[in-house]
Amino acid sequence: MNMLTPLPTAKWTEATAAHLLNRAGFGGTPTEIEAVRKKGLAAAARDLMDVKSDAANVSPLPWAHPRNIQAQRMEIKAAKDRGEDFQARARQVRMMEGDEMLDLRRWWLERMMIGPAPLLEKMTLFWHGHFATSAQKVQDAYWMWLQNDTLRRNAFGNFGALVRKISRDPAMMIYLDLQQSRKEHPNENWARELMELFTVGIGNYTEQDIRESARAFTGYRIDMTTQQFRFAPLQQDHGTKTFMGKSGNLNGDDIIDILISKPACAQFIGRKLWRFFVEDDPRPETVNAIAERLRAHNFEIRPVLREIFTSAEFYSERVIGSQIKSPVQYIVQTSKLLDTPPPAAVAAQNAMRQMGQILFAPPNVKGWDGGKEWISTSTLLFRYNFANYLINGDAILPPNPQQRRQGADVGFGRAAQLTEQIHRDPIDIGKLVPADVRSKPREVVDLLATRFFQTRPAEKEVETFVKFLETRGADTTDATLRELIHLMMSTPQFQLA
Amino acid sequence: MKPTLQTRRKFLRTSMLGAAATWTLPVFLEKTFFALDALAADALTQTVTGKDGTILVVLQMAGGNDGLNMVVPYADDAYHVARPRLHLGADQVLKIDNHIALNPKLTGVKSLYDEGHLAIVQGVGYPNPNRSHFRSTEIWQTASDADRTLGEGWLGRYFDNCCAGAEPTVGVAIGEETPQAFAAKNPTGVTFSRPEQFRFQPSEPRHGQPSAEEMFFRQLNEAGSGEESGTVASNTGGSIGTISGKAKNDLSTLDFLQRTALDAQLSSDKILAIARKYRSSVTYPQGQLAASLNIIARMIAGGLPTRVYYASHGGFDTHAGQVNTHERLMGEFNDAVAAFVADLKQQGNFERVLLMTFSEFGRRVQENANGGTDHGAAAPMFVLGGAIKPGLFGKYPSLTGLDHGDLKFNTDFRSVYGTVLDRWLKAPSQLVLGRKFPALAIV
Repeated sequence: MNMLTPLPTAKWTEATAAHLLNRAGFGGTPTEIEAVRKKGLAAAARDLMDVKSDAANVSPLPWAHPRNIQAQRMEIKAAKDRGEDFQARARQVRMMEGDEMLDLRRWWLERMMIGPAPLLEKMTLFWHGHFATSAQKVQDAYWMWLQNDTLRRNAFGNFGALVRKISRDPAMMIYLDLQQSRKEHPNENWARELMELFTVGIGNYTEQDIRESARAFTGYRIDMTTQQFRFAPLQQDHGTKTFMGKSGNLNGDDIIDILISKPACAQFIGRKLWRFFVEDDPRPETVNAIAERLRAHNFEIRPVLREIFTSAEFYSERVIGSQIKSPVQYIVQTSKLLDTPPPAAVAAQNAMRQMGQILFAPPNVKGWDGGKEWISTSTLLFRYNFANYLINGDAILPPNPQQRRQGADVGFGRAAQLTEQIHRDPIDIGKLVPADVRSKPREVVDLLATRFFQTRPAEKEVETFVKFLETRGADTTDATLRELIHLMMSTPQFQLA
Repeated sequence: MKPTLQTRRKFLRTSMLGAAATWTLPVFLEKTFFALDALAADALTQTVTGKDGTILVVLQMAGGNDGLNMVVPYADDAYHVARPRLHLGADQVLKIDNHIALNPKLTGVKSLYDEGHLAIVQGVGYPNPNRSHFRSTEIWQTASDADRTLGEGWLGRYFDNCCAGAEPTVGVAIGEETPQAFAAKNPTGVTFSRPEQFRFQPSEPRHGQPSAEEMFFRQLNEAGSGEESGTVASNTGGSIGTISGKAKNDLSTLDFLQRTALDAQLSSDKILAIARKYRSSVTYPQGQLAASLNIIARMIAGGLPTRVYYASHGGFDTHAGQVNTHERLMGEFNDAVAAFVADLKQQGNFERVLLMTFSEFGRRVQENANGGTDHGAAAPMFVLGGAIKPGLFGKYPSLTGLDHGDLKFNTDFRSVYGTVLDRWLKAPSQLVLGRKFPALAIV
């Protein structure tokens, strides 16, 4: 049976439309879901996929330009050598970098939430996790921005072309020490990860393949003045290399072409795509099917995504509502569902740290494992408490900074003094619950449960929500409804999409 | 695994579900909360591993601690030559023997040595040392070879392989982030920095009595305790016994979330109950490390069923102006550990606790031009406790036969881990570390 048979039209419902918006983006409000349902699956998929070119053609953030980082570092070093106070200057540069990273994270979260092309952003997030690169080592927000831009522009394009671009991406080159690789001492870090994590996966290459391909990637350099890739022919090893059975004066692009031609590559990428968008543990036949489609489309990503998002398999009962939201998904989707702005940059960054997914700072080159790895007792409790902040605003924090340390832990223990930066108003209940429904507990619960849960919670839980409203009496205040919403979000069910 | 799970469920049913079955308010509110508190406090005294088992405390010195100025080869001329500005003189240091001494700030640690409660393992490292903080930290946390990347941490593999079915608090990390060492196939262990904050925060801050929201929250997050979560109940057949430690992964995602929610709720109740009940009469110094060790001491006093505690002390990346920074760090470390040990002795728990320090690497032998030191390699580890075998272990690495300017290791850090696993935690180290490393006579 072909795993990727299209979904029958009859199965296109509110639930399946909501599922598409969850997985191919960052969720939808009831209004958005209804609009997508109305236009039908084909049109919905087209709109997600065939984004206008300007959605990927993003103008840089004001600070995101080359600024000759080498010169700045030289300046600090010179001051150091002269015995002058370089620490202050160095600190200033670090602060600048820190503020820029904060801004970069804010900007991306906003694009995910209100940008014109949610799937494009989600796919960029997929590639960020795949070609994981951390600002902690790269230490330049411009380079991190540049990589993000490259990922976005190529997100739906050809996989091979993207790998070639990433091999020339300064952030990646620094992260995996490629720019240090010399003819005499080829660095194997990039060569190894290219195979193990980016293309064919572990077990599909030899140590000899690593050594030989490392030689092929010599000569890759970064011009520190322009902060762009440059090729240094004199640093390149022009000798004969033997890689996976092929011999010759192979260069880096040759290596990438050979890797992508391997069946293991389609399997590896196909499996990873399916895990990210569909389910944690794909069956072997599913992986085979998706790998076959990748090869059939010559590793063009867009048509493969289209087939995934229109397939009956993607909408199967097993899949819908079975995925644990990533921290980034959690922050963006929760803000969307509450019809509020995203949290302030410093709050969002803190929350990402507490939940285990800091954009631009994956834990290592493997990226985020996702799935059940997102959840521990501490991250789950944090999610519950962060929902409290998103719903009720900073009113939940004691006013006094000293007390704040003892108060609700939404991750601001260290940032207690950032009163203004973490200010947040409570949500506007009027946007979520019409006045005429308020006094009817069951209707309120139905309305909100439909909004917040992909899969309707068990009857027992629904009854608990109703009971809660009933115990609060006839007077359903805004505060009571905010408590109800917080209760709904403080459940295992809400972590799923 | 099954009996423990059932005990846990039974406990929950009697404490939470039992009382919560009555829907009338406010009786429901009162009953549940007080019953819960009483039962939780009661259960603490009955726990299996909390009161009698051995406990490991792992103390990370993050950033790369300068081992040379912690355990000082004061009699070696090469040390004084390499460190014209940073060296510690023979008249300052706390002498261990004719060759090595402790940093002058380590007075409490020195007393422990004299009392026979400190083992100093010298020249610890691993082959092909990596000088990146992240990578080397990862190597120490996962106990991998330098050229291998492992997903799970060494303590996570200990939890997976040797603690299946244990309470989530079998591993407790004090801080904001779960250490990579805890990363496991089946997420185990809890992380918190302040017990008061490791709990569900209702919309309205609590004034004494829990609010209705909080009580309903408990209702919504105890599903993992009921038989109705089908996968748990139906999966108790033969397959689970054979795939030890895989149970959590076999759960459906929702079941897994419900279990974790239950674990969080259960452990936060216990942790808060203990934190309220136990205050140490020993005065701890200021600072993050002291605060962390204080929490750990209180949890031990309260009998939290924990085998491994984890605390971290940061700021050791002393590239410039090292003298003051390192002196301060050594002082903080010494004072915090001294208070912790005094506390444990007073509790009568010092015999049950082994504290082990580590840092991702030592520092370069030659000081740099900025009065600091750059990333190095081998360094000493401290292992201390009421029941350890004291003394000097390993060899002090040569200060002249260096590897790229760094000390060469002679004791693999996994020998220390392995010994602690085998002899202290009574866990087969081979299962956790993948192979057997030579044991040390520290336990």
